[in-house]
Amino acid sequence: MKAVRLELYKLRHKHLFFMVILILLVEIGWAFMATSMSISRNPDNAGWESLIAMLSAMNGLFLPILTAICVSRICDMEHKGNTWKLLLTVSVRRSSLYAAKYAVASIVMLVACLLQVIAITTFGIMNGFEQPVTLFLLARFIIGTALTTMIIIALQQWVSMAVKNQAFALSIGMIGGFIGMAADLLPTGVRRILVWSYYTGLSPITQSYTSEKMQFIVRDMSSLLPMMMVLIGAGIGIYLVGSIHVSRQEV
Amino acid sequence: MNQIVSTHGLSKRYGDTYRVKDVNLSVNEGDIYGFLGPNGAGKSTTLKMILGLTRPTDGKVTVFGKNFGANRRLILSQIGSLIESPSYYGHLTGFENMRVIQKLRDVPDKNVTEAFKIVRLENQKDKRVGQYSLGMKQRLGIAMAILSFPKLLILDEPTNGLDPAGIGEIRELIKSLPQRYEMTVLISSHLLSEIEQMATSVGIINDGMMMFQGSMTALKNKNRPTIMVKTQNNKLAQKLLLAKGFSPQQNEDALLFENLTDHQTAAVNRSLVEANIDVMRIEEHKKNLERIFLDITGKERSL
Repeated sequence: MKAVRLELYKLRHKHLFFMVILILLVEIGWAFMATSMSISRNPDNAGWESLIAMLSAMNGLFLPILTAICVSRICDMEHKGNTWKLLLTVSVRRSSLYAAKYAVASIVMLVACLLQVIAITTFGIMNGFEQPVTLFLLARFIIGTALTTMIIIALQQWVSMAVKNQAFALSIGMIGGFIGMAADLLPTGVRRILVWSYYTGLSPITQSYTSEKMQFIVRDMSSLLPMMMVLIGAGIGIYLVGSIHVSRQEV
Repeated sequence: MNQIVSTHGLSKRYGDTYRVKDVNLSVNEGDIYGFLGPNGAGKSTTLKMILGLTRPTDGKVTVFGKNFGANRRLILSQIGSLIESPSYYGHLTGFENMRVIQKLRDVPDKNVTEAFKIVRLENQKDKRVGQYSLGMKQRLGIAMAILSFPKLLILDEPTNGLDPAGIGEIRELIKSLPQRYEMTVLISSHLLSEIEQMATSVGIINDGMMMFQGSMTALKNKNRPTIMVKTQNNKLAQKLLLAKGFSPQQNEDALLFENLTDHQTAAVNRSLVEANIDVMRIEEHKKNLERIFLDITGKERSL
């Protein structure tokens, strides 16, 4: 806990939350504008399903990049000021520093996910959606998004900590964003192994075209559960490998 | 006296070459131990191994009489250090940087105030460290190192990047630490003059090997004057003087004598003149510490 508080302290003057909110605003604004347009064309689309599907698709593009930036800013300060040596000589364990940084990145991104849900709810109520707020769908949305993000954090943190040049980590974030955006176009086998595709892959809503009309279908929860378990396992694996690798590096 | 740091056969190999080989370093309580060596001699690597930042290929490190590997946390809690370039969070202010270390070290607020006062950064502590000059960063590094007023202070080239006034100030500060706070200081430098002015013991390392270790006085005792005699015929003169019981050494175009008293010098001169060998010059040569250092570390390369 002490280590996490210290990491938060070290983020002072970094304007990290401000930056995260700014990027989120752009994303949410874009998603809501698109949804408003589709509602005005076809009032049948005025439902939670279309809104959540839209934001899931947008998350595929935005969140990998946002995560990469966020993690990079948290990790970069140790490289920039040569502070590894300093921390190790005051007997900080590298694995606990790694854990604290992971925790802080997760907190920031979870806040981002929560803000999205609040924005969705507000938008829905303001646009007078007929159905009541579907807490169940929103909960599934937030679980899917948060889970995917936490695995991406593990991956990004490994890269950001192991490779000093942060351009490398940010490039991976951008490639991830591209994959996340185009995920639904990829064949299933490829999609399964690319973690960025799970923003739409774990979304409670899926879109399908039947008789030239777009339909939103609520996915069955039980079909997603095994996939989530595998993902959690993979996330833990990536985290451990990263933590051990970084701990063994020479300073 | 109590040994604070001792290493036994400490070695570090990178690939096929040894950066540090069989170093037996020993620092006594209350010492200011000057660790001297040219650039790339293995000073930093040795210090890093003492601090556990680098794993030795071979050898043992004992600090405060305890094995380092087994008592790492305990030992590190009593060492303050500044290794190579100063470490800092550029986006935080000097004060916030100190706070980070304070929280890790678990020391009271008054230590922060005092450490700032000692390095004279009180007026700059609310400025971001990214905007500090190199000298100020160096001072902040020293302040962080002494924050917990540790028993052992390890400083790797602490005067790098400081102006002459700053160097003098830091020197006075380091000299005062053993008495004021009962600290033992292990300080490395490639500048002999630096070490000469503050160290009580010296270790000289070159190419990863310890060339000399002992008190400053012992090093200075190597500083014996030699007498150089230049004659018309050095070969003949050497033969003659050897027969008379002197031990001249041929050196370029002159003869060199060690440990010669004034009377003996006069006797040498007389013998030569009587043997009809013209004496052109008699000079006394004093080796300064610089010379000794260069002799120990070998070639006259850049220090």
